[in-house]
Amino acid sequence: MATPPDSATGPEPDPQKESHGWKWLLSTPALLVLLVAASGPLMIVAVYSFLSPGNVGGVEWDFSGDGWFRVFFSRDIFDPENVSWNWANLNVFWRTISLSLQTTLICAVLGFPTAWFIATRPPERRALWLFLITIPFWTNLLIRTFAIQELLRGNGLINTILVATGIVDEPLQLLFSNFAILLGMAYVFLPLMVLPLYAAMDKLDFRLVEAGYDLYASRVRVLWHVILPLVKPGFVAGSILVFIPSIGAYVTPRVLGGGRTMMLGNLIALQFGQGRNWPLGAALAMVLLIIVMAALVFYLRAVNGEEGKRRG
Amino acid sequence: MSVEIEITGLGKIFGQGAAAFRALSDINLSIGTGEFFTLLGPSGCGKTTLLRVIAGFESPSMGSLKINGDEVAAKGPNARPVNTVFQNYALFPHMSVAQNIGFGLKMLGKPKAEIDSTVAEMLRLVRMEAMADRKPSEISGGQQQRVALARALAPRPRVLLLDEPLSALDLKLRKEMQSELKRLQGETGITFVFVTHDQEEALTMSDRIAVMSAGRILQCGTPHDIYHAPTDRFVADFIGDTNFLTVPVAALDDQGATVTLPGGAQAAARLPEGMRPVTGEEVTAVIRPEQATLAEPGAGDMDGVVETSTFFGTDTHIHLKLADGQGFVLRRQNTADLAAPDPGSTLGIALGAGTLRILKD
Amino acid sequence: MAKSYDVRRLPGFGAIAVLTFILLYLPILVLVVFSFNAGPSQSEWDGFSLQWYVAAFGNQQVQDVSIRSLWLAAVAAGMATALAVPAALATTRVSRFPGQTMIYALINQPLMVPEIVTGIALLIVVAWVKVNTGYSGMAYLVLAHTAFCIPFAYLPIRARLETLDPTLETAAADLYANPWQAFRYITLPLLVPGIAAGFMLGFVISLDTVVITEFVKSAGQDTLPTYMLGQLRRVITPEMNAIATLFLALSLLFVTAFFLITRKRG
Repeated sequence: MATPPDSATGPEPDPQKESHGWKWLLSTPALLVLLVAASGPLMIVAVYSFLSPGNVGGVEWDFSGDGWFRVFFSRDIFDPENVSWNWANLNVFWRTISLSLQTTLICAVLGFPTAWFIATRPPERRALWLFLITIPFWTNLLIRTFAIQELLRGNGLINTILVATGIVDEPLQLLFSNFAILLGMAYVFLPLMVLPLYAAMDKLDFRLVEAGYDLYASRVRVLWHVILPLVKPGFVAGSILVFIPSIGAYVTPRVLGGGRTMMLGNLIALQFGQGRNWPLGAALAMVLLIIVMAALVFYLRAVNGEEGKRRG
Repeated sequence: MSVEIEITGLGKIFGQGAAAFRALSDINLSIGTGEFFTLLGPSGCGKTTLLRVIAGFESPSMGSLKINGDEVAAKGPNARPVNTVFQNYALFPHMSVAQNIGFGLKMLGKPKAEIDSTVAEMLRLVRMEAMADRKPSEISGGQQQRVALARALAPRPRVLLLDEPLSALDLKLRKEMQSELKRLQGETGITFVFVTHDQEEALTMSDRIAVMSAGRILQCGTPHDIYHAPTDRFVADFIGDTNFLTVPVAALDDQGATVTLPGGAQAAARLPEGMRPVTGEEVTAVIRPEQATLAEPGAGDMDGVVETSTFFGTDTHIHLKLADGQGFVLRRQNTADLAAPDPGSTLGIALGAGTLRILKD
Repeated sequence: MAKSYDVRRLPGFGAIAVLTFILLYLPILVLVVFSFNAGPSQSEWDGFSLQWYVAAFGNQQVQDVSIRSLWLAAVAAGMATALAVPAALATTRVSRFPGQTMIYALINQPLMVPEIVTGIALLIVVAWVKVNTGYSGMAYLVLAHTAFCIPFAYLPIRARLETLDPTLETAAADLYANPWQAFRYITLPLLVPGIAAGFMLGFVISLDTVVITEFVKSAGQDTLPTYMLGQLRRVITPEMNAIATLFLALSLLFVTAFFLITRKRG
């Protein structure tokens, strides 16, 4: 007997999912708080970036492109017509992007073997290793940065050991350098790389790895042709999770970089402190936000691209 | 017997426009008070949707639904004198067995003393007195089943709906719960509407069965009627094993029709109500494998060549090929000294009187 | 006997992993160890002593900022959780509706926007409100921390809600519960682990937040992290190690509790 075409096929709706109705209204209190204390202020920053600086901080309500102009250019104090690149700011941009990329790379190089190590432990012990990675992730970032500062000090443990063993004659200047910032950021953000990598490896079908070996591939080739492509989503997610807080880092460069070795976050803060140029600070903040958004868009496209490939 | 549930012209459509899906079409049903009524069909046939509509979890798109004479189509589940035993039991994991059973009464605002005594009575009814303080996670699947039953029975609903309640149990437990359900129904006198895809379960337990497919009720009747007098090819195929024979009508009379069997012999066949085929028209006739018997070649109604035979313990299924190439399965009761027929040998097939039926389609 | 070919082994990976774990814990360990140093050095061990803990406990300023931090974390996490529960109910187990992406983006905004940007944004708004109202109390910090904690409170609650069997609510409705009763007696009790986890996460996050506090606080509203940040510029004694160690212990307590709660579910 032929079944009536109107009922045999077609998507059966999921009766477990209720239609929205008035339910979304329940989210309004939370959204209101976020609007007042998160999103709204962000929009005001955008507005402030187009105003004129006040004398002692704050702004004058006059439209001005000067804040954005000063992000990239500077005028000669004696000859305002003489415009040149603002190398001080551009250096900070370069340092910020370069250090963030290096941090991401270091985290990837250390994080991949670590995640693999955890993923290949017996299941009952995996939770413990995972917990060990997660603890630093949830403990105070300031304290972890402080711990690194203590190690790197002129009279810190590393220098003490180096001098005592005769490797160097006098303590090295380790603090307040790009190296210190890089070390600190890699240290504090490493768990953010390991966790998504582990999540990807946890889902990995090890029969595929076995198939690789079965088909005469060496360990290096299996790693390169089988494992890496399969855990790529974890790499992408981990890289984004490390890159975004690195690019916006404030505490770590402040504590380990000192006053001169600044990153973008410190440059922004400076405009609201001694710099007393709020519009410039607001414009710099917008630049930082744009970089972060670009990274997020890149991430979402990478993720959607992967999914598209899998579906296709 | 008074009518408990009266369903007329009921339909249910999910979604809208191009994505619309007609889950139930033109359902007309009348279920009597105290009846054990079963909705039977394969998965996706709409039986669970119909149950959810009766319970009030889905509202019908059209038609009327009366429970004890009250129109309830627009009422919520908490305003209907109906309780449900869910497929996965849906016991509240954070409440004890006793709290689960008392939940409905508590929501109805019954005084504590009444709740306590009813809970005790229900625990006795399902023989779970010793487990009153356990959490659902601390009792077995069969015990969870009993608690789900007790919880649904405690508010003394007019109708109890059971959504494949036995499907998660193993065979032995399922048999046990089947008789338990019958006992509970007898003791409480509540109308049971039972959903299952298991035809054997439906046949053994029900007073009446409605067979559903693709959102429609195809046939509604007693287990005996459904089994012996299927009016529809789907019903005949879904319930038990059936031989389908395509045969031409030789003659028609008041009682039924005479058809020409493969091999040329003629046999009487019953006609379903309202069907008047013309002479010479090809119709589908059905007969159950156990309703035919073996005979000497030429001595039965038709002959068949044995293809295979399969031993099932109590009986043997003999697969034969008829003169025109159609297949036929015959079920023969086994005795210790009966040997399986040789493949390739020709045997006669005798059809029992009045066992051949013509289907509607 | 020949060693079998282990397909899960990649040469050198184990060594790097162990090294990573050591690197991860060594700085913290050094910090903790020297908090018990009898001498004032961060690198030379002069014997065991609790004197820096005594000093930390006796430091009125440390007491003040600690109490303020804990109070702020409790209030902010509590408010964030109270807001996150209805938000999670509104956005979980519902079919897609217009504006859903907007709501997600809003809720998760504090996770995406760098803290420094949120910090200066709040600085701007708070400065403006202060000038116009003259109010300079704790409400700014409470509101800022609450908003920042919402996504952290929201995520575990939502995760818990997603694992909840929706038939339980159907069963409650079948047993004559109205929607409020179904929520009160079924959904809410079953959400408790998620709510507790959300609160704890929010608490730890508020306790950790330094950048936002730094920009929002008025004079005399230092929290433990901003106090520490200010002290790091000076010559540091192991008293700071002692404070940091206590702080670490508190975080660890909450993280462990969070783990135990979330692992028990399901």
